[in-house]
Amino acid sequence: MTEDAHETALETDALGKRYGRAWALRGCALRLPAGRIAALVGPNGAGKSTLLHLAVGLLRPDAGQVRVFGRDPRGDSETLADIGFVAQDTPLYRDFTADELITMGARLNRRWDADLARDRLTGIGIPTRKPVGGLSGGQRAQVALALALAKRPRLLLLDEPAAALDPLARHEFMGALMSAVAESGTTVLLSSHLLADLERVCDYLILLQTAHVQLAGDVDELLAQHRTLTGPRTDRPEAVPGVRSVIRASHTDRQTTLLARTTTTGTVPTDPAWSAHEVSLEDLVLAYLGAADTHRTEVTA
Amino acid sequence: MIWLTWRQHRKQLVYLALGLAALAALMVPTGLSMHDTFQDSGLADCLDALGTDVLLSGQVDTCDALRRQFTDEFNSLTMVAILFMVLPLLVGLFFGAPLVAREVEHGTHRLVWTQGITRRRWALTKLGLLGGLTLPLAVVYALGVTWWFAPVAANGTGRLAYGFFDVQGIVPVAYTLFALALGTFAGTATRRVLPAMAVTLGGFAAVRLGIETLLRPHYMPPEELSYSTTGGQWLNPAADSWIYESGVRNADGELVSSGLIGCPPHDPLCLDRGGVEPGSSNWQLYQPGDRFWTFQFIETGIFLGLTALLCYLAVRRIRQIA
Amino acid sequence: MIEFVLDGRSKVATYMQLVLQVKQALRVGIAQPGDQLPKVREVARTLAINPNTVLKAYRQLELEGLAEGRPGVGTFLVATLAGDSLPQQAELREELVAWLRRAQAAGLAREDVAALIDTTLRATLDRPVPDDAH
Repeated sequence: MTEDAHETALETDALGKRYGRAWALRGCALRLPAGRIAALVGPNGAGKSTLLHLAVGLLRPDAGQVRVFGRDPRGDSETLADIGFVAQDTPLYRDFTADELITMGARLNRRWDADLARDRLTGIGIPTRKPVGGLSGGQRAQVALALALAKRPRLLLLDEPAAALDPLARHEFMGALMSAVAESGTTVLLSSHLLADLERVCDYLILLQTAHVQLAGDVDELLAQHRTLTGPRTDRPEAVPGVRSVIRASHTDRQTTLLARTTTTGTVPTDPAWSAHEVSLEDLVLAYLGAADTHRTEVTA
Repeated sequence: MIWLTWRQHRKQLVYLALGLAALAALMVPTGLSMHDTFQDSGLADCLDALGTDVLLSGQVDTCDALRRQFTDEFNSLTMVAILFMVLPLLVGLFFGAPLVAREVEHGTHRLVWTQGITRRRWALTKLGLLGGLTLPLAVVYALGVTWWFAPVAANGTGRLAYGFFDVQGIVPVAYTLFALALGTFAGTATRRVLPAMAVTLGGFAAVRLGIETLLRPHYMPPEELSYSTTGGQWLNPAADSWIYESGVRNADGELVSSGLIGCPPHDPLCLDRGGVEPGSSNWQLYQPGDRFWTFQFIETGIFLGLTALLCYLAVRRIRQIA
Repeated sequence: MIEFVLDGRSKVATYMQLVLQVKQALRVGIAQPGDQLPKVREVARTLAINPNTVLKAYRQLELEGLAEGRPGVGTFLVATLAGDSLPQQAELREELVAWLRRAQAAGLAREDVAALIDTTLRATLDRPVPDDAH
């Protein structure tokens, strides 16, 4: 991995974007260290695309700021050159061949690795002389990825790139992406609502919910900080020893199950009546999303 | 950027060139035949001999028979003028409207605006190149139509008349660039191709008609002409005048008839047949034909100004699209 | 060369699955010292996993003294887990196969066989093999 571990690839500060009177993203503060593969997770409409579009300079913030390697992505073509972007549904000029798209990239970018893109595509058997409109969805996604990688970007942003693909094509797409990361060490921010895709791929998590950042951090650390706790029914789960905050609680007549942030990393509760289990990324994400839902209904009720 | 613009629009450009070639194939033979008839029948010499004075005196309209003959033969062809008026609009519909709208509709703006050039440059280059490519085509078209229409215009209606002014000289070039800018702007506003085309169509027609009917007659104050109903004077058909209003005024200056009257001197019966009293005079409000180029420059200026404004607004709007 | 597979339903961390597969291969002799491990890039591509996960697995193997990274070339195995038992493994395996056929003939289903082996293992060896527990 070539990037300096202390460098920041993407940083936002009180970032906000409004469509009309509704905020699509508000008060977003996060810092993505370079060299990470980060998952941008959240339900549809949570602001994932908005955040990515702000990061690639397609959108202008209505509040706060966004920095890519310390620079405003709306600034100049130099910053644009450092960012690779694969937009949702991997749009391409459908009457262009892959070869022509690669030529296009060469004309529009000062740094452009046409051979890399061409080798990558021929390597996985994608015809480069056929209009891309005639390719399968998976192949088009691969072309879009190859184009983004040919920029040799330091930050690669992908907006639900695999959402519309069948499982095999999705696996191949993620494989191609991971192999490119292994080679270049580029930082990746990948949005998806398919958690299963991300669990093995991402080492950093950004969870968006209703225009806010719910949770952000290193996946291993987040997993180490959270536990599922099971014990006798209690109406004051915050008081359970070892619990710092309760993310989600469910109760039966006799038992209470909590997904909680623990006071110290990896501790087991001191109360012998309670047992602790490790959580998966999916458990964690679902708990936070569910917690926000509950919170919202309480507020509106 | 040049390569991309060419690659994206080459089909339309080829179709446009083919369309113009087909049009030329139609217009060149008919134009030659019109010019030939115009010369060979003696109409050209006859009209030349009349000069460009607004009034002719002491002679009858010697070219009248030849003019009728020419009109009978070629009148149907002048309907083509309507087609000529629509041509600039096509550039707006098929180059302007899809320029941004198709990108947004297909999402490809997110591909092309995230490459290594700013979208401001993308927009300016595209507009510049397409404008630069359509400009010579428009000039060729304008010159061609001016040549084709010259005999018809010379034969009475004049170059300033509606439908004639609009397809000759330099205004067609300005209309073409305006249509391109209007289409582009409409695309940034609607962000979909078909609505953008509809807005372009409506906007082009509204602006053209509005300026033509509301502004153009006021570019310069019209002139008035009064002449005796019995002075043996005639309006020169070769004068190229754009007549707003004409008729017979009585001694008090009231308009009593919309037709003009020419009677021999001292023939009250003739005046009576025409329904006017002695002492009345023929009158017309008109723009002299020699103002053609002044009007052309004014109208071209207006449309180029609108073009610049629309380009500016389009580029500004493009920066809001994500 | 080892070909990694992932068990999607396993609770075991991805990197640990890779480590265990290398150890397993060393134990049964499929892999031997001197063998090169698959390139990080290849593993990341075929399994569609984060290359850092592969690196972490390889580092773990290096820490345990089983592998060694050679800059610019790759990661190579340098030790084995087969021990002295390897020569006898073939014979033992044959006996096990014969036993399994007998179990099959006696009408034991796959689950019955697995349960029988599992309980016998625990009863006989008293505790699980250290490398398989976490």
